[in-house]
Amino acid sequence: MSQFTQQVILGLLLGGVYVAVALGFSLVWGILNIVNLAHGALVIVGSYITWDLFTRWHIDPFLSLPIDALVLFVIGYALQRGVINRVIRAPLLFTFLLTFGINLIIVSLLLLIFTADFRSVTPSYSGNGLHLGSVTIPYIRFGGLVVAFLLAGALWAILNRTRIGAAILAVGADRDAAQLVGIDLRHMYALTFGIGAAFAGVAGGIISTFQSITPTAGDPYTLQAFAVVILGGLGRVSATVLGGLTFGLIEILGQSAPGLGSGYANAIAFVVLVIVLVVRPRGLLGRLA
Amino acid sequence: MRREKLGVVLALTALLAAACGTSGGGTPTTGAAIVFGAAVSLTGAQSKEGGLTKQGYDLWLDWINQRGGIVVNGVKHPVEIKYEDDQSTPNLSATLVQKLITDEKAQFILGPYGSAATATDAIVAEKNGVPMVEANGAAQSIFSKGYKFTFGVLSPANKYLTGVLDMAATLSPKPTTIAMLTANDNFSVEVAKAVEDYAPTKGFQVIFTKQYPAAAPEVSGLISQAARLNPDIVMNSGHLAESIAINKGAKQLGLNAKIFAYSVGPSTPDFIKALGPDANYVFDGSQWTPQVKYKPSFYLSVGEYVKAYKTKYSTTDDPDYHVAESTAACLAFQKAIENAGSLDATKVRDALAGLDVMTFFGQIKFDSRGINTFKPMVVEQIQNGAHYTVFPANVANGKPQYPTPSWSSR
Repeated sequence: MSQFTQQVILGLLLGGVYVAVALGFSLVWGILNIVNLAHGALVIVGSYITWDLFTRWHIDPFLSLPIDALVLFVIGYALQRGVINRVIRAPLLFTFLLTFGINLIIVSLLLLIFTADFRSVTPSYSGNGLHLGSVTIPYIRFGGLVVAFLLAGALWAILNRTRIGAAILAVGADRDAAQLVGIDLRHMYALTFGIGAAFAGVAGGIISTFQSITPTAGDPYTLQAFAVVILGGLGRVSATVLGGLTFGLIEILGQSAPGLGSGYANAIAFVVLVIVLVVRPRGLLGRLA
Repeated sequence: MRREKLGVVLALTALLAAACGTSGGGTPTTGAAIVFGAAVSLTGAQSKEGGLTKQGYDLWLDWINQRGGIVVNGVKHPVEIKYEDDQSTPNLSATLVQKLITDEKAQFILGPYGSAATATDAIVAEKNGVPMVEANGAAQSIFSKGYKFTFGVLSPANKYLTGVLDMAATLSPKPTTIAMLTANDNFSVEVAKAVEDYAPTKGFQVIFTKQYPAAAPEVSGLISQAARLNPDIVMNSGHLAESIAINKGAKQLGLNAKIFAYSVGPSTPDFIKALGPDANYVFDGSQWTPQVKYKPSFYLSVGEYVKAYKTKYSTTDDPDYHVAESTAACLAFQKAIENAGSLDATKVRDALAGLDVMTFFGQIKFDSRGINTFKPMVVEQIQNGAHYTVFPANVANGKPQYPTPSWSSR
């Protein structure tokens, strides 16, 4: 039983990471209608910032998260305003191509700057955890889950409690109508993309503390963010949270499924995804399109 | 008329050959460049290992060209290596090797990084009758197809972790139980299978064995399962990223073992840099270490090799075994070409099959399949942030630190 409890806890903790990764991805997809294939690369940029600050100035990885957010916001804002905005009304395939290309460029730049060496952030408390009987909760991963919930809360508050959020939602609902009532579309697009990138950066900072990072480590996160958003549904923060936690749980429980190698964990996760799509095409909590 | 012309040409050629022969007694003349081709991973998931492979090749390239090249029948042929980037995609690797052979006129092929790419390249080498010496594909399955043109200088996969078991059998109190975490790629599965077959013969019991998808280093679920069984030995047969994740996970989830041994990862400087003091006590099986004591019959000694590496790449890091084995592949080619006295593909292939030389990397000699089963693996341990060779004792420069203290008492 305690074995099962432990697996559930680990699953939720991993799910927290997926939530953090998917929040920004979901926002950009929902509002701008862009499936950002460079999202994983932006995540890894955040990882490298945290790593750099940690190795250079011994800044605690959790303290560097706001810096990740700030830097990535600027990068995201500029990317959208300068590059992606040019294809914002083009068919989906164009945005796919463009963000795919941006992904390649970011990864190659990271290779040039940081080389392909494996890096990892290992603060002194990285191995400590809370021991409750035979169940262990690693502090670092718990910290990651807390940050993910803070991010989700922040995003919800921005969207539902601020004028900017209202404007972002308006742009998502109807671009032309939003423009008619005086919303600066280009600014709103860039702002949305910047927020998405900032969230990716924070997720990257968390990831650097328990996994090793390389310039190419981001690609799986794009895929996972995609799966989480499909699973949870588009257009709601709570959907991303539910999708992320579910995905993490499935992955960890799949690893320990009796009689199955954990090689099947991903297969199980995607089978569940397909079932959800068949039964609830809008995802677990998705809004009407 | 035609005949006469041919006769003149023949006579001239004979004269020329004679002239070369006489001058060759002292200083060999220079011949056409020998073109080697290599498709290595310079970008993508394996760009780190691919980069190390290229470093190994380039180190030899500099050395041989400083000497004027490979001597074939008294004529010095400078060497050229043409590189292609396989982007860490095995299928692309095969295409590039074909391109190297047909477009870039590569006469000999140096292997790519990784068993998967090597397996596909071997097919192309065989089809074209071009000899390939590879240094970074240890899966035996590459050599089970009866290919005649592929040779591997490194010890095969089944030896990667069995050395750790040999060492563990000599320790006291003797560990008995093993938990094995295995990536589901060809090479890693072979390593794990060898451990599972070999362990009982040495009095060990494998109590936990699970596979995970390669390159998806989320293994906390598996570690928490293994931790409940309190294994004496935790083994990972996988790659660098996973070995780092497993070591971190073991600490976070309180998996305390007497021996942590990972097939690939700890031998690279990245492992120590990424984990800091947590990297201590970890064992790995290594193809080669900078501390081994082989007496080479040509090229550099082990000490000279390490120095040459540090100078060329302006680094304080020692070369890891990926670099050394890649250089060794070049050495095998060099010696085989010299022995063959020819650049003919089939003659060089035959010379490779009959090769038996001692290098800084150890003995290079191929069995009938083309695998170098004659060189032993060594066991390394990280002690106070540095690599020590701890087994077998005759090449070791340190003693195993055993048992590994629990995470809480470090």
